Amino acid sequence: MTTMHRRTKVLAGAGAAALLVTSLAGAAFAGEWGGRGGGPGHHSVVALSAPGRVAAAPPLPCLSSSFGVGLTNTSDEPVFADLDLAVEAPLSLSRRVLSTYLPAADAGYTAGAEVEVRMPRDTAPGSYLATLSLDGEPAQRITVEVAPLPERGPDANLALGEQAYASSTHSNVRLCGGVDGNTDSAQWGASGTHDATSGVFPDTYGVNLAESATVGRVELYTLDSARYPAARMGLRDVDIQVHTAEGWRTVEEVRGNEAGHITAAFAPVLADRVQVVTYDSNDHKYSRIVELEVYAS
Amino acid sequence: MPVPPKYAKPSKAVAAGRRRFLTGTGAAAALALSGGLAGVATADGRARGRERRDPFTLGVASGDPLPDGVVLWTRLAPEPLEPYGGMPRSAVQVEWQVAEDERFRRVVRAGSATARPEYSHTVHVDVRGLRPWRHYHYRFRVGGQLSPVGRTRTAPSPGTEVPALDLAFASCQNWTAGFYPAHGDLAARDHDVVFFLGDYIYENPIPVDGGARGQQVPAEVGVDCVTLDDYRLRYALYKQDPDLKAAHAAAPWVVTLDDHEVENDWAPRDSAEWVVRQANAFRAYWEHMPLRWDRLPQGPDLPLYRRLAFGRLAEFSVLDTRQYRSHADGGWRAPDADTLDPARTLIGQAQERWILDGLGASSARWNVLAQQVLMMPTDAAAGAAQSVAMGTWSGYSASRDRVLGGLHERGVDNLVVLTGDVHANFAGDLRRDFGDPSSPVVGSELVCTSISSDGDGADADDWTRTILAENPHVAYANHERGYVSCRITPREWTAHYRVADTVTRRDAAVRTRKSLVIGNGVAGIRD
Repeated sequence: MTTMHRRTKVLAGAGAAALLVTSLAGAAFAGEWGGRGGGPGHHSVVALSAPGRVAAAPPLPCLSSSFGVGLTNTSDEPVFADLDLAVEAPLSLSRRVLSTYLPAADAGYTAGAEVEVRMPRDTAPGSYLATLSLDGEPAQRITVEVAPLPERGPDANLALGEQAYASSTHSNVRLCGGVDGNTDSAQWGASGTHDATSGVFPDTYGVNLAESATVGRVELYTLDSARYPAARMGLRDVDIQVHTAEGWRTVEEVRGNEAGHITAAFAPVLADRVQVVTYDSNDHKYSRIVELEVYAS
Repeated sequence: MPVPPKYAKPSKAVAAGRRRFLTGTGAAAALALSGGLAGVATADGRARGRERRDPFTLGVASGDPLPDGVVLWTRLAPEPLEPYGGMPRSAVQVEWQVAEDERFRRVVRAGSATARPEYSHTVHVDVRGLRPWRHYHYRFRVGGQLSPVGRTRTAPSPGTEVPALDLAFASCQNWTAGFYPAHGDLAARDHDVVFFLGDYIYENPIPVDGGARGQQVPAEVGVDCVTLDDYRLRYALYKQDPDLKAAHAAAPWVVTLDDHEVENDWAPRDSAEWVVRQANAFRAYWEHMPLRWDRLPQGPDLPLYRRLAFGRLAEFSVLDTRQYRSHADGGWRAPDADTLDPARTLIGQAQERWILDGLGASSARWNVLAQQVLMMPTDAAAGAAQSVAMGTWSGYSASRDRVLGGLHERGVDNLVVLTGDVHANFAGDLRRDFGDPSSPVVGSELVCTSISSDGDGADADDWTRTILAENPHVAYANHERGYVSCRITPREWTAHYRVADTVTRRDAAVRTRKSLVIGNGVAGIRD
């Protein structure tokens, strides 16, 4: 969906200012100093591309949602453009402003950015309104639809989307890639995770559960694809640990592993964290985790 | 959620200056000239309906001194780490004053400038009508609020004899790598002018804990700067540093940029993405530097190289070694056919001609190139192997030959090249042919280390020892953090290499590690 935003003269109306959510903090200044005109002085035509609707993931700390925005100059002269982005609380956006130079239309250039939608765990499911303003004028509304939290029945994966942590995370991957619900090694780059310290062990990767829960089984998926078989690239020596009221307890010691999937089943305990400590991998470089799942039994 | 913005408190000196101003009777008289005393009278913040947030969180600056004027700078940013610095999308009038005394009893120039949102509410006031070689004090006011007071100095009249000029030069102030005790020292010493030779900001992501500073920063600075708002936010973060603000407020700065104001080593300039990034970076650079309006970038083009004179004593050609260079990778390796290719240039043909024509016609005692990258080779490989930095003049040796050869042919006296970029102090002789130790010395090169980049270093290490051993034209090397403070007289140029004990503390001691002298008409650097 594309909205054309035409600006032929400087706009200094109070209505536009009120809609410019990001400058509310400056309202006191506006009251003191405003009304002198001047404005941004863009006499340009900038096209905004953004979705009208974003289906967001449930409000879990390690599940993220994002949408793309694009700005294109459709005039013969280069311009600067300001895109302001705001969303209804309690949601927030990774970017509240996108200001950029835009070459003339014949360059065929679109300045794009990916905007992450963030929200606290207690966000109620439903629709939230995001507002995009271009050079101070309302330009587009986006409906962000927040999905409900997954039902946590007796068979639920308690690690899904919860806050992951790691001794280090390589810049090519995401910390949350190991608890995003994707066990497919073919999507390793986008959906897996590994440490940043090549050849240095141990490495730790774990997840903070939402609350203390009975834990009796852990499923650990390491990299295992046709191109990157586990016997060559996967985890080799690992301890699987759960954190109880008494401290860390090792529930499984795996040595010499060459499989893509490790299951640890043990007497159920009340735990609030689960982690994998890797002492070696089959290439002796990185500790590659595709997914860490935690179940009651 | 974004972390709440942190504010750097004004330094004690700045706060004291403001109190002094607010209580001085002369100050009140001066203000009466432009009205609005009601807002000033209640400096406790209770004034009715008035904006009480300090808009001058990023300090004040002056730059590019001329015999009759100087450019004054500030930015209105009551919430510097918020979008648009917490300012609305409207223009704001900013009053300014220039006085002969720090209490503003003798205001000699005053006026009003418009801080526009499209320039991040910065102002760049080109004050003229000042007297040559004079100290002045300046300040801004908006609403009822006063800026800190800055001190500046105009250049001497053309053709006059100048007994002494005190200058500092510095570069490379990676915020994440440490504090700026060197700037605090630079501000405390009495410099007539400060040259900043680039890497004012670093474009790389800043960790949430602020790196070596251990200061929480908003998640928005955890990105590579690409958009205009990214670069603006980076300047807003850097310019809150109290020592950097003090250094700007203490003397006029003459700035040029290097690579990190856009991106490490710069990509080849052939993609639309690069053009847009460069235009964004240049716009933010101009907005935040004390540069005149005639330096405003036009998209991806920033007219930056320029010349300033200090009477008959010294003439400074400020170079741009980034925008016009043939591309090279940024590594260190042996010179090869590429580096020798006469078609390649570091500064472009027009700038090469401008240097030769300008310095060829100069009658100044000291002829100075204030620029970014090492001009002399610093071979860092022991033995017969060679390793020089490809991003410096050594990667463009034909370009260097044309400049040094042309200056030698024109009989340019007392050539001194000031250099930054390399995060190390050096001093050396510029030879007509660096491969031939008997070839004539055509000038001297003084290289300043980084203000903070790379964190704490050492006086000597394997790298500096190798360079000293391999390069007979290199007279001095040091690998600590700091800057260079110089006294220039018609008889000699004395360079004091000031180094900080550490950059892990804001209040670290700064001392002179080495002093070197270049004599008038004498080839070579001596202790």
